[in-house]
This record gives sequence, C-alpha cells and structure tokens, in this order.
Amino acid sequence: MFRLRLAPLRAAVVLAVGFVLLRVVYRVVFGGSGTGPLLLLDLPRLRLDGPFSHITLFGPVTLLGLGNAAQSALPVAAVIVFFGLLNAVINVQALFARGAGRGPLRAISRSLVIAWATFPALLESVRRVRVARSLRGERSIASLLVPIFEQTIERALALAASMETRGFAATRVVTGVCEAPVVLRDAGLNFGAAPDKTRWHLDELNVTLKPATLTVIVGATGSGKSSLLHSMSGLFQHFYDGTQQGRIDIVGADRASTPPRATAGFVGLVAQNVRLSFAAETVHDEIGFALAVRNVAAPIVHARVLEVAARLKIECLVDRPIEQLSAGEASLVAIAAALVNHPLLLLVDEPLADLDTAARDRVCTVLGQLAHEAGVCVVIAEHNTREFVTVADAWLQIRSSRLHQLSAAELPGTDLANSFRVPAPVSTALRPAVPLASIRRLSVLHRTNLVVDDVSFEVQPGELIALRGSNGAGKSSLLRTIALPTTADTVIVSGSDVHSLKRRTRRQAVALVPENFDDLLFAITVGEECRRADRGLTGVSTAQTFAHLLGFDVTADAAPLLQSHPRDLSAGERLCLVMAIQLGARPALLLVDEPTRGLDLQARTLVGAALLTAASHSAAVIFATHDDDFALGLATRTLCMEAGRLSAPITVRL
Amino acid sequence: MTEQSRPRDDVIGTPDTKDSSVLALSDRLRERADRAQPRRGIRWTSWILGGGSVLAAAAFAWPFFVGAVPADAQVAVPIIAFALIPALIVALALTLDREMYMAKTVALLGVLSAVGAAVRIAGAGVGGVEAVFVLLILAGRVFGARFGFLLGLLTIAVSSVLWGGFGPWTPFQMFACGWVGAGAGLLPRWHASGSQRCRIRSEIALLAAYGVVASYLFGLLMNLWFWPFAVGSGTDISYEAAADPGQNLASFALYSLITSTLTWDTVRAVTTVVGVALVGPAVLAALRRTKISPRR
Repeated sequence: MFRLRLAPLRAAVVLAVGFVLLRVVYRVVFGGSGTGPLLLLDLPRLRLDGPFSHITLFGPVTLLGLGNAAQSALPVAAVIVFFGLLNAVINVQALFARGAGRGPLRAISRSLVIAWATFPALLESVRRVRVARSLRGERSIASLLVPIFEQTIERALALAASMETRGFAATRVVTGVCEAPVVLRDAGLNFGAAPDKTRWHLDELNVTLKPATLTVIVGATGSGKSSLLHSMSGLFQHFYDGTQQGRIDIVGADRASTPPRATAGFVGLVAQNVRLSFAAETVHDEIGFALAVRNVAAPIVHARVLEVAARLKIECLVDRPIEQLSAGEASLVAIAAALVNHPLLLLVDEPLADLDTAARDRVCTVLGQLAHEAGVCVVIAEHNTREFVTVADAWLQIRSSRLHQLSAAELPGTDLANSFRVPAPVSTALRPAVPLASIRRLSVLHRTNLVVDDVSFEVQPGELIALRGSNGAGKSSLLRTIALPTTADTVIVSGSDVHSLKRRTRRQAVALVPENFDDLLFAITVGEECRRADRGLTGVSTAQTFAHLLGFDVTADAAPLLQSHPRDLSAGERLCLVMAIQLGARPALLLVDEPTRGLDLQARTLVGAALLTAASHSAAVIFATHDDDFALGLATRTLCMEAGRLSAPITVRL
Repeated sequence: MTEQSRPRDDVIGTPDTKDSSVLALSDRLRERADRAQPRRGIRWTSWILGGGSVLAAAAFAWPFFVGAVPADAQVAVPIIAFALIPALIVALALTLDREMYMAKTVALLGVLSAVGAAVRIAGAGVGGVEAVFVLLILAGRVFGARFGFLLGLLTIAVSSVLWGGFGPWTPFQMFACGWVGAGAGLLPRWHASGSQRCRIRSEIALLAAYGVVASYLFGLLMNLWFWPFAVGSGTDISYEAAADPGQNLASFALYSLITSTLTWDTVRAVTTVVGVALVGPAVLAALRRTKISPRR
C-alpha cells in the first residue's frame, strides 16, 4: 500500500518548474509582464488583426511583472508537486490488484492485473526479438514490433483459454456425472459452417472413457490431436470457432451448449505452452486461481492450494514468483492449478514437449498416479509416446480423419536411427589443415553466472554436430554467442573473426535458427517473408529453398503455402521457412537450436532431411537437441555440455 | 438450426441477467444472438455511453460555459468539471465492465493496455513521440468502439501508475485517449471488392487519415480544459470569463496553435501515420486472428 519511490517526485518537480517557466514565457510573449518599475527589456509591441485584434504581442518586461507571473503559477505547480509526492508514497498498483475479481469492476481490475503481469514478459520478448532480428540481419522497425506484438497476442489468447477453462466469468455451473467422463457418439469436428472434405475434419468419433484410466491420443502434427482434446474441454466449440456434429457429453453435460467455464469444477486442462497460460503473479495465486474466480474465501483457497501442492510434492514452490520456475516446475504447477477443483476429467495437451528426461519422468509418474490412485480420467495428446507406455491404459490414434484404438504394440515406432542416409564423416587424412571454424576459449556471463565456461572446439567442413545436455546446461547460450560473439577472437569462421564482421558478412559466416524461431517472422504472408529475405542478396530464392527443404521438387508445389500467414503454417513448416531464410546468405556454419521440439515423427524426418540438405548448402551444421534418436540418426559427431562446459571427450561416430 | 431452437446456455443465472445473459454467451453464439434480437440491452448501454461522452465533452469545454452561469456560481464551474470527469469515467467503466466480462476480451484488454503503456513510457523518453495512438486506432478498428474506449482508459491508467504520473490531469487524458480508440471503432466498414492488397491499402489509408484528425483533435481537447491554468491571467490570450465567446475562442485558437498544434500534435500526427503505415497490416492481421467480432 505504501512505499517510497523518488522518481515520480523528481518528475513532478521538473514538471512544476517547467510549468512556472512556461507561464512566465506566456506573459512575456502575450503582454502583461510590464507592470511596476524595474524595467528589464522594452520590446516593441506588435498588434495582431482579424479575429485576434484584442491580442498584442510583447511589450515592456519588468522584474516585478516576471515575479508576478511566476507567483501566479505557484498554486498549480504546488498541485503538481503534491500529486508527485502522493505517487511517490502510495502504491496505486496494490490498490488496483486488491480489487481484482471482486466488485462491479471485476473485468477491468482483472485486466489491470494481467497488464502488470505482462510487463516482465514484454521485456523478455523485446530482448529475444532484438537478438532474433540481428540474427536475421534486419533493421526495420516492423521486424522488431511485429514479432513482439504477435507474441503478446499469443499470450493473451493462451491466457484467455486458461482463464476460460478455470471458470472465469461463469454464470452457471453444471453438475458433473462421474460414471462416464467422456462420451463421444457419432461426433464430427471441422472448421467452417459446412463439413468440407477437402479441409481438416474428423469424422465418426465414437469413444467412451471411464474414470481411473489414462488415455493417450497420438497422431501426426496437424492431424488434430489438440482439436480432439479441446472438443472435450469445450475450447474447440466455444473459443476457437470450431463446429461440432453429433454428440459429445463431458461429465454428463452436452458440450455443444456448455461452454468451458461452466464445467470448470469437473474438467481440468493443462495447456500446451504452460508458461503462456499463467494468469497470476505467484505460484500460490496461480494454483488457487480457479477457486478465487468463484469467490471462494481466502483461507479455504489457501488450504486447498497447500493440499494440491503436497499431493504433487511441490510445496517448496508455493511462494515463488511465477516467472522463476524451470520448465519442469512450470508443468507441475500447471497440473496443480488444473487439479485444485478436484476434476473428474483432466485433459493434458503435449506435456512433454519442453522437458528434459528427468522432468519427463516426473510428469509421467504424476499423471499415472492421478489416473490410477486418485481415480481421475486423464486424457493426454502427445507424440512423445514412448514415455507413456508404462502408464497408459488406452491409445487412440488419429489417422485419415478417423479415430483408431491401438494397443501399445501397434504404436508407430519412434526409431529414427536408420531413416537418414548419413554422409560419411570426412576422414582425418583428407581434412584440410585449417578447420572451417574454431571456437576459442568462449565464455558467457549471464548476470553473475558463468553459463558457458571456457569452451573450445573446432569444426571441419561437412560435419553435422549434435550438441547435447540437460536443460540449463548452456547449449542455447553457446549457440547464440557463436552466432553473435560479444568478445573478439573467440569465434573464427573461414579465417575471419566473426566479432569484427559487419551485419551482412557475418551472416555469410554463421547463421543461427534460434529455439523461438517464430521471432524471426514478421510479414503477413510467407511469400512476402521470402521476398524480404531475398533483398540485398543476389541469385538466391528463399521460396525455392523453402520448397526444397519441404521436399517439393518444384517451387510451384509450395505456392499455396506462400499465400498463407506464416503463423498458420505447422511448426515443422515454419522451422523450414526460418531455415530457408537463414540459409539465404549461404552461411559457412549453420546453427540450429532444438530443431525437433514439439514435432512428431513425420515432421522430425522432414527437419532431419532439411538439416542434411542444409549441410550440403552450407559447409557445416551444429544443432542442439534433447532428442536422442534424432541426434544419433543424424550427427557425424556429438558434443556434450554439462554446467557450461563440454564434458565428454569428442566422439567421432564410425 | 434456428435461433429459437438452439439451446441457450447461461440464460439461467442471476436475476439481473436480462441483458448480461446475452453478453455472457460465447462469442459465436453472442454474435448470432445479436443479429437475431432487437438488441435492447445494447441500445440501453449505447445511450449511457453516448450521454456520458456528451457530458464529458461539456466538462472539457468548461471555459466556454462559465459565462452562461450566474456570476456568483462561476467559481464552481471548473470544480464541477474536475469532479465530473472522474465520475463519468467510473460510470462508463461500470457500464462497459459487464460487457467485457469474457475471458478473451479481458485477457486482450489487459495485454494490449500493457503494450500501450510500454509504448507510451518508451515514447516519453524520446521527446514526446507518442506512438500509443497507433495501437489505440488499430485495436479500436478491429475490436470496436467499446473495446477501443476501454483500451484508451486502461492504457493511460496503467502507464500513469507505472510512471508515477497520477494526478487531476489523468482522467482528462483517459477520456481523450478513450475517444481516440472509440472513434476508430466507429469508422465505416465496407466490403470492398478487389484484391486483398487493395483492400488492405484502402483500410490503412483510412486509418492513417483518421490518425491525423485524431492527433490534432486530441491536442485541442487537452488544451481546452487546461488553457485557463496554463496561461493564467493577465496576458492577452488569457481566458476571460466575462469576455464574449468570440474573443475567448480567438485567444484559445492562438494559444493552441503555438502550444501544441504546430509542435507536439504535428509530431504525433506524423508518428501515427508512419506507425499505421509500417506495422498496420501486420498488426491488423494479428488482431483479427483472435476472432473476436467487432462491436460498436
């Protein structure tokens, strides 16, 4: 409520002084500073005419006149300083936050809370996008503002979806039936008014799911795993403008007419990107959000939050600010937030995409326990199927617009090891004396932490190097600093120091496709994005490279894609687009950070092939990944990172 | 399925939901319901919004009303104006709050006002190049006048709180910015034939033209209520309660011209046009991808 902040007071004093001076200037210019003795200046009078005939400019200026002018301004100046003082002492933000969710201004006060929670994310996104645009070599203002704005909108929608499923603005609460949490009868899903067989649709969905079971929905990227999951959460029908045919009953309520907010007491949802969907500022408020929007008394909310946290063994996180969570912790907090209402049905959308192996095991165990010990009906959409083999009771596969029941044995293989033709490693004898690139004693300091500690290695032409290590080992920092070195003489590519290169020539030496590759995109069609990338380069067609990376033989086959909005492409296609853009300058060394995150087998194959193609375009590729199979199947060499250092000796695969 | 046979969710609710039930429907249902019903509740709030805006405009123009009241009541006029503006903000916010009580609108409102506030604060650091109008105009255009109005209010509120510039002037700024956003939502919509590119260009041209008008009008409005305080008494462009309206108008015009119209307002107009032209198409596309239908 009260705190001392001097900046507002300082600003108010400056403003007040300015105000007094301005008033003196008005007096001097528009006559009226000539009263009394002590003449300072005798300016000639200048009479205006027309409608302004009553106005005379200038005239004599006396000291007394100036003093009078300044004195007359003092009351208003005092008001300005007074409010500066109030602003310095009172924490208005805390006043607003107190009203959130209550009273007649609950929408506006909740908006204000969201606005404040958005600021850290906004700063982070500005930082990220600035890196991204220097990676792309762009300097236009649109390349900075548009990605930031897109991210903000994305955040708003994720937030809105998570608020909706947790009962925000609910006016009616349905009573749940726990015998059959999910019943789909002859249901169909599509976008648009009439079923259109040429576009995405799902047909003849007939599924009944029982309590205390764990079901995994699998299928290729874009097959509709998330849409099927959200047809159960209700977001598909009531938030994403999808159309439902047939009947879908969720905990006894007809989904076509029951919006997600009405079933918040029985259906929990863990969103795909959990960080985007956090609606509160602390872990405690986040877990208790679904109760707080129902105006449950604070002590009860507190007790329930602690109970749920104890169940997931995350009591230690309860008092933490939400932005200080690691990826694995964030997933667990999101699961806790979905469980606080004791749901009968828990829907989880791709929980494993961002996690390293340890966190994956933890999340899988928790979800298994919820199903088999607490009796919740758990439904998961995921393509990392291997982790769930031990806990899943049923598998549903989406194939050619239908849903198929699978047994664990029929699961599509996740083995990528032999699906690529790996180029033979350049034999040592043939290696040129000078390596393509050498990294010399590279260190990265982030605040006070040494995130990359004295890393040195060399890259030979034609190599495909996998960089591996757990979350937070420093892989991304290493790649970013190789692409944008901060000190001289640490990164040498083709004989020149990357630090001293200019924007354009730097991109010919080394290019990075960052983990958040969407940050590089800012046009409204893919075609425009490609034309933009071609600018200033000769003999390059990014559209052609894009089509080539996607596996099309003729560029014209990719024409429909070129017309669409970049963010309407699937994740794999977007990654290929950004790779095509980054390959435009023909970099000697291409770096790719987490190329398979959130991609299914098919898309991973696409990206793997694209990396091989890229390796033939540029001289060498380094990619960071969590994906063991992907790394094994593709890399000619593996580097392991641990706590900022290259840990294992470099092993050459034979 | 006809509108009557469609199961209407949320109608069962608190007793006061005669009109709020319509608002609580999901977006798509709500849109259909809007088309099918005579929109009684909507018209009622329109009257409040319109009436409130007219009253607020009168409060902004208080210097020109002083002459019309008896001499011994003249002192009270500025005080009434200063009390009326915050009261009207509360009244309009209360009216609009019920309409905005949907997860999507609340989230977008919060996030966009944070962006607006950040733009405003960043802009204050580079010499009054206020780019915040770009956001207000684009969002008002896509989401409609009511959303635009609230976004204007909240942007100023959030930036004032963050920057620590809360004061008697804040409500006036809030209203003026709210009108800028609302005006963009009231611009004509047309279904032009022709290529997509052509349509985007004409829309951007319309918004840029509106941006110029809005920038100058905003400057005039903000000068209007503050002019008597800024200049004080004793100069030839001072506000004189006793003088005839023509003289006051001329004084005000000259004051406005030299204080802001030629300087700040022109810079703001240029910034807005450049901003709308540069990021307009991409931002409009991003906002439209949220699939919230505009409402006037």
